Amino acid sequence: MSPELVFQQALNGLSFGALLFILASGLSLVFGMMDVVNLAHGAFYMLGAYVALSVVQATGSFWLALLVAPFALGLLGFVLEPLLLRRLRGRHLDQVLLTIGVSLVIVDVIGQVWGREVRSLSAPAGLDGSVTLIGGVYPVYRLFVMAFGVALAAAMGIVYRRTRIGMLIRAGVQDAEMLGALGVDTNRLFASTFAAGAALAGLAGVIAAPVFGVQPGMDTDPGLLYSLVVVVVGGLGTLSGAVAGSVLVGPADTFGKVLFQDVALAVIFAIVALVLLLRPTGLLGRIRIAR
Amino acid sequence: MLVALGAAALVTFPYWSAPWASRFATTLLRDALILAIFALSLDLLVGRAGMPSLGHAAFFGGGAYAAGIAGQQLATDQLPVTLGAAALVGAVLALVIGVLVVRSEGIFFLMLTLALAQIVFAIAFQWTAVTGGSNGLSGIGRPMLASIDFSSPDLMYVLVAVTFVLAALVVWGLARSPYGRALIGVRENERRMRALGYDTARLRLSAFVIAGTIAGIAGALSAYSTRFVSAQDAGLGNSVRAFVTVLVGGAGTLGGPIVGSAVVSLIERVVPSILPTDLRISEALLGLVFIGFVLFARQGMAGLGRSAWLRVSRR
Repeated sequence: MSPELVFQQALNGLSFGALLFILASGLSLVFGMMDVVNLAHGAFYMLGAYVALSVVQATGSFWLALLVAPFALGLLGFVLEPLLLRRLRGRHLDQVLLTIGVSLVIVDVIGQVWGREVRSLSAPAGLDGSVTLIGGVYPVYRLFVMAFGVALAAAMGIVYRRTRIGMLIRAGVQDAEMLGALGVDTNRLFASTFAAGAALAGLAGVIAAPVFGVQPGMDTDPGLLYSLVVVVVGGLGTLSGAVAGSVLVGPADTFGKVLFQDVALAVIFAIVALVLLLRPTGLLGRIRIAR
Repeated sequence: MLVALGAAALVTFPYWSAPWASRFATTLLRDALILAIFALSLDLLVGRAGMPSLGHAAFFGGGAYAAGIAGQQLATDQLPVTLGAAALVGAVLALVIGVLVVRSEGIFFLMLTLALAQIVFAIAFQWTAVTGGSNGLSGIGRPMLASIDFSSPDLMYVLVAVTFVLAALVVWGLARSPYGRALIGVRENERRMRALGYDTARLRLSAFVIAGTIAGIAGALSAYSTRFVSAQDAGLGNSVRAFVTVLVGGAGTLGGPIVGSAVVSLIERVVPSILPTDLRISEALLGLVFIGFVLFARQGMAGLGRSAWLRVSRR
């Protein structure tokens, strides 16, 4: 590979990593608080992209879609948590199974409403061009994705450490039951957390749409599969883990695809295997995934 | 005795049902039996050993590809070779993934099996030179045993039904054996089992490999039935399908996975033929049924049947 190509792929990898952070942070947040791995996270991501598609078709505004889709997904999450998950509070595995059912329903309904063809969403005006960087032209939108991911991570970091909401989240991740005993309404806290996770998935769906397309199957790849890999590698339930996992998996996957093409996912497999064997908590996690 | 009669009736279904049942019934039952073999193998993990795997399709798909590719590369249609290849690939894949996942439990086990199995899917989907990639693998050979050709619909059914009976006997035998008891022990209290001197990691791994082997054979039967292997056979959708089948039927019961495969086949194949053709919502329906069972009848159809029986017999 020429140095220019390496540079370009490094940028691609980092912008994919930034997207993975937006995607995985929601999964990690919900897990941290509720001990539930939301297997409908990929379906939420997909739904976010399709809602964005409709908003852009109706109004022509990508920026409006960027607001509407996360809001719609947040609302869905806020309804689904009390409707389904709350009934099985404490039975974490069964709650995870419920999210499998939710995922089946959402993906099929998307197919029924929006059709089962490959669709596309173009980048908004102003970000649809390219700039000249070392050794070649590079799409501006990918740089925007990178900046957006970094900004979101920074914002989330500030919310975590400096605000009352962040304090509640940190306390809930430590011990949600104790938080309830101290008078916090955990029902509302859990519903809000699940809603926030869904909204982040929806946000990732909108941001990803112009780069990775809008199509059947996106709920699994990249949706659910990559967000799981990121949280396993980075560590479950911590913000820094989601950052570390994304920054590692994004570039690794991108270079894997360039170098090994047909068997690129073997690279991800190797990383997951290595992390599990050497650091069963993930790089920066607290929870042991394996003994 | 009753089981033997039932098995004989099942295996000869196309021959005695001919006057009143259609070809569709034989095909439907064949596919339901393949799903039942697949689900029985998964239940060994989910129901017995308490290992909720969401990656079982990797072994099903691996077996399907192995049977197809072995037939083409080795230029043989002999079932002992192709089914053997399917079983071997199922076992080896299960060993590789199993080594990594048996150290995890519960939700983590589920996440890891899902993620690692999806890599098998991705390789099947991308490695076009070997697997046909997104086009799938066609040109599956004929299933031959010596000089008998099983590719006619009726004989294909018989092959599937016989394999189903054998697989059910193996799984039931394992479940009742000391080995099966030990697996249940691992599910209920792994620490105590370790204290009793069992190598629980090895127990879990061996269950994973046995289940993978049987799933591989189910995959090969699917490849022969449809004369085609799709990457989706190894995909998450198929893993979810097996999992839903086990839970709807009743995990950890002898008949549950079989009842479950009947319910799932009904939803997948019969319901769409009633609904208007532009309404393709069988997956959503399956999802709703699954949610209903998880919320209200976690023990599945088998559990519902058992409590109904208790209510009746108590009167």
